[in-house]
Amino acid sequence: MTSAFWQRFLYPGALWLLLFFVVPFGIAVLISLGANNEFGGVTYGRNPSNYADALDPLFAPVLLRSLGYAAATAALCLLLGYPVAYCIARFGGRRRNLLIAAILAPFLINYLVRTYAWVALLSDEGLVNRVIVDSGVAGRPVGFLNTPWAVIGGLVYGYLGFMILPIYASLERMDSALIEAGKDLYGSPRQTFWHVTWPQTLPGVLAGTVLVFLPAVGDFVSAQLLGGPDTYMVGNLIQQQYFGAENWPFGAALTIVLMAFLAVFMLFYLRGASSSARREALV
Amino acid sequence: MTADGMRRRDFLRGSAGLAAGALVGAGCGVGPQSAPKVVAQKAAAPKVDGDLLIFNWTEYMNPKVIKGFAKQYGVKVTTSNFDSMPGMMAKLRSGNRYDLIFPTADYVNRLNRQGQLRQLDRGVLRNSAGIYPFFDDPWYDKDSAHTVPYGMYTTGIAWRADKVGELRGSWNDLALEAARGRTFMLDDFQEAIGQANLLNGFDLNTTDPAELERTKATLELQKEFLRGYSTNPAPNLVGGTAWVHHAWNGDVVNARNQSKEPENLKFQTCREGIPVGSDCMAIPANARHPGTATLFIDWILDPENAAENVSWFGYPMPIKGTEDAFAELAADDPQIQITTDDLATGVQFRELPVDDKAAWDRLWTEVKA
Repeated sequence: MTSAFWQRFLYPGALWLLLFFVVPFGIAVLISLGANNEFGGVTYGRNPSNYADALDPLFAPVLLRSLGYAAATAALCLLLGYPVAYCIARFGGRRRNLLIAAILAPFLINYLVRTYAWVALLSDEGLVNRVIVDSGVAGRPVGFLNTPWAVIGGLVYGYLGFMILPIYASLERMDSALIEAGKDLYGSPRQTFWHVTWPQTLPGVLAGTVLVFLPAVGDFVSAQLLGGPDTYMVGNLIQQQYFGAENWPFGAALTIVLMAFLAVFMLFYLRGASSSARREALV
Repeated sequence: MTADGMRRRDFLRGSAGLAAGALVGAGCGVGPQSAPKVVAQKAAAPKVDGDLLIFNWTEYMNPKVIKGFAKQYGVKVTTSNFDSMPGMMAKLRSGNRYDLIFPTADYVNRLNRQGQLRQLDRGVLRNSAGIYPFFDDPWYDKDSAHTVPYGMYTTGIAWRADKVGELRGSWNDLALEAARGRTFMLDDFQEAIGQANLLNGFDLNTTDPAELERTKATLELQKEFLRGYSTNPAPNLVGGTAWVHHAWNGDVVNARNQSKEPENLKFQTCREGIPVGSDCMAIPANARHPGTATLFIDWILDPENAAENVSWFGYPMPIKGTEDAFAELAADDPQIQITTDDLATGVQFRELPVDDKAAWDRLWTEVKA
């Protein structure tokens, strides 16, 4: 088979991305250059003022907050997710697939619904607080909700699976003989982990971090339902332009600016991933 | 290697051409419309012409009443929900077709100017005589040619009496020391800015920049007492997360229905000014089944159905025969009552011109950012 033959398999996926990513993105660019009219619709034009508005310093704290929450989310997901992926890959045995399915099970329920469930569970007089107070762990209810921690917790809950899966994949691919070799060379378990396992799974860690970080930056559900007065995220700001202010052009400009910003992070990831792929090729 | 590179470039070039073509197409057709389409739409006769698709707020109509209609006429009724008027508008604008919508008065005004509502002939409705005459020619819809009134609402403050005792009947109660960190404001820019305007003694709909600057200061001061912004007062109050909550009158009825200790849930209106409003049932111009929708409107206007609806959703309806049902709800809490007199004398949100609305949006963003 020639490579030309195999390249044809690229077309369905490329067409899909074209129709459902490139074209909507183009529409967003068009809208972002328009102006909103009295009916909440868009008058198309060549109007760069929405971009000037989007770069207003007023929004800097919102963007920084979003990046901070997303970074914390990615870090927590890594801390929680790596050991889980490790245990399943190394010690899951026959039950591996079942355990992975169990991790994916919550994804069968809509993220919004799951977040609403958190509101009910964690409210001041909710189930969790009743257990805490009745068992005497704390004298009075803990104010979980409407804090930055609740927002980050909601994000971790929402995106943890995206961290576990790629790490699990890279652990599963790893040859366990490498670990034995590390031990044969008198490596302590810790040394073996840091010098053998961790570098081997770094691509998975990187992929998981990106998969968690990017959607977490733009998330609005967690901050809207679990957030307090000072947890406004860039996703909320954009959502407000579409469904509150009825200013689609400004909402679109904010979206494009955010995407441009995140594309820079993506570039770092791609460079990191390709250099680690090169390293692997050398090995 | 070289051949591969060529092919990849060709592929990319081909894609770019396709994308450009699609974009040109998008510019013409897809996306929000820029110009209003005004189409004369005759009223439909009340008879079944298909299944019914309702577009409404959540928990804003008694499901039992809907089921009754479905059974009586052998049609399927589906309800889809929006959570704000702009959200409803966005869906309508992007071409979704619903048979029945529930716009507030100021939005009826806007929809009418765009010709987006189908005419509605009250003459063909069996139960139209029960509608209060106050709505024969409302400010938002000349001669009521497109709408039938649905709910009447007022905005105030709901609170947990077991936590904070009695309130003082003022918008200042949103900055109550005893409820610091346990107070919620409605996550609705109109209601939030509106109450701060009233508290400062300004017109509810003021667009004066100096006044709005003071209103912003008020909102920032109130923010220090807040635990959050939310449009779900009932679960927040019932779950004990909120002790004081900026709310609509029906919210407290809803909360009481969910609570084991309903007597602890109270509602007050505020002496600096009481925002009031009403919303409607209307049929979009592009509705697929206007006949069934007209029939359904008549079903809701039936005094017995309307009374059953009122007891469930918690707002008074301007329909004769529903008064007792609401009086029962309001027995412990007269302040949730709202009458057409209140609508005549109370303060109502008006549609703001684009630039003024942008100033309100900006203010709201500055407060929340």
